[in-house]
Amino acid sequence: MMELLKKTPLNKVHHELRARMTDFADWQLPVWYTSILEEHKAVRSGAGMFDVSHTGRVWITGKKSGAFLDRLLTRRAGRLEIGSSQLCLLCLEDGGILDDLCAYRVGTDRYLIVWNAGDIEQKLGWLQRWAGSDSDIVIQDKTGDTVMLAVQGPAVCQLQNLKGVSHLPRFGHTQTRIEDVEVLAARIGYTGEDGFEIITDAANALQLWESFMKQGVKPCGLGARDSLRLEAGMLLYGQDMDRSTNPFEAGLGWLVEMDNGNFIGKSALLEIKRQGVKRKHSGFQMTGQGIARSGYKIVKRGQEVGKVTSGGYAPTLDVNIGFGYVPIELATIGTDIEIMIRNRPVAAQVVNRQFYKRGA
Amino acid sequence: MTPKEYKYTPEHEWICPESKNKGKVGLADYAQSQLGDIVFLDLPAPGTQVEQGKKMGEVESVKAVSDIFAPASGQVLEINQTAIDEPGLVNKDPYGAGWLVRLEFSKLSELDALMDSDKYDEFVAGLSENESGQAGD
Repeated sequence: MMELLKKTPLNKVHHELRARMTDFADWQLPVWYTSILEEHKAVRSGAGMFDVSHTGRVWITGKKSGAFLDRLLTRRAGRLEIGSSQLCLLCLEDGGILDDLCAYRVGTDRYLIVWNAGDIEQKLGWLQRWAGSDSDIVIQDKTGDTVMLAVQGPAVCQLQNLKGVSHLPRFGHTQTRIEDVEVLAARIGYTGEDGFEIITDAANALQLWESFMKQGVKPCGLGARDSLRLEAGMLLYGQDMDRSTNPFEAGLGWLVEMDNGNFIGKSALLEIKRQGVKRKHSGFQMTGQGIARSGYKIVKRGQEVGKVTSGGYAPTLDVNIGFGYVPIELATIGTDIEIMIRNRPVAAQVVNRQFYKRGA
Repeated sequence: MTPKEYKYTPEHEWICPESKNKGKVGLADYAQSQLGDIVFLDLPAPGTQVEQGKKMGEVESVKAVSDIFAPASGQVLEINQTAIDEPGLVNKDPYGAGWLVRLEFSKLSELDALMDSDKYDEFVAGLSENESGQAGD
């Protein structure tokens, strides 16, 4: 069983740091090193780093790479400037979400997509299917040959390692060197804080990791990554959205550009938009005692109206929060709902999905 | 590490006998370290009758929900309100300030069947071996 788990180039370091490990999307990854709460706090108040090498990195190159991505993604990649990136969705013909990802333009005909670790084979198959045998579209999954660190927190630009990239705008990226290691650094993150995601060859993994360790950056695991993204109102693919959800009910309509040519899923999405959505991914805060967890029922007047898709304790806010799909008529901020926690209805209230805002 | 005078269950609860038929109950260090940061405790109200080996409450960490089993049958006399208000006490001081409930035992013979600290230490060492075997390369 354990042999089947994929390991990042930093797996040994995680064990040396005595991290508690977990299985996530077929990868063995640290869930915490010292404590989820400490790691969460480090990212909110200073700087923390995550080994996110499980996150897929696929280079799309060739003369038709831009047109190809325009066909597949809900936002026009060909419109990106070199050195910029954007979040977008990969949708199926029926408008269901196959993944959410970040598309980087690294050259005229060179793109990088950074997507979730799950369903890699199916997603690569989807790309291959639409690329066909066109030699002007080259798809290379380099996830296994590279490593990716997310260095996050309000203090990241003061780190010696990152001073050189502190000029980058949000979603900007550049090829640079950190301690003689050639990297691709992008000002992006999944924590609600300032930060960078840094990609380099697997062979450089340890050197890069240790240089950040020396500068006092705290290693953080998936536990804090999850609590940070939840507080910041960010969705997790596989929990908050999947093939059975469309971008509009997920509250991700802003990632769909209807003027973007004829991308896959567009006609279905136009129809969904015309009809209007029946349910909406919403944020809630527990007003009663209890912690909502993914899968718990959401009820209103004794009737089940939806399910919790993500939930937990919000360390920065010291309240219990969550996301879930509720009928559109209950999606208004201030609506009272209840969460079934071990067969007991516990009071909650619909609130703005972005629970935590940087600098607030 | 494990207090000598306490009794332990395989589910990692402990009993600290205070008198012949009364004692405090809590979670062992191993349990809190496995759970990680504890953020919520759901404990039975004073007066509740609990039964050995049956669920009497819940503990939630940032990542996980776990049942708390009664280490012995009896009546709940008191719950640790300080720990309810500050669940992290269970992490910080599992054998002391992080106690959970005080019980009045109804079947004293049940206590004899629990592990003493030496036996419990051995039991935990066995678990840790398995764990490191799994986690190794």
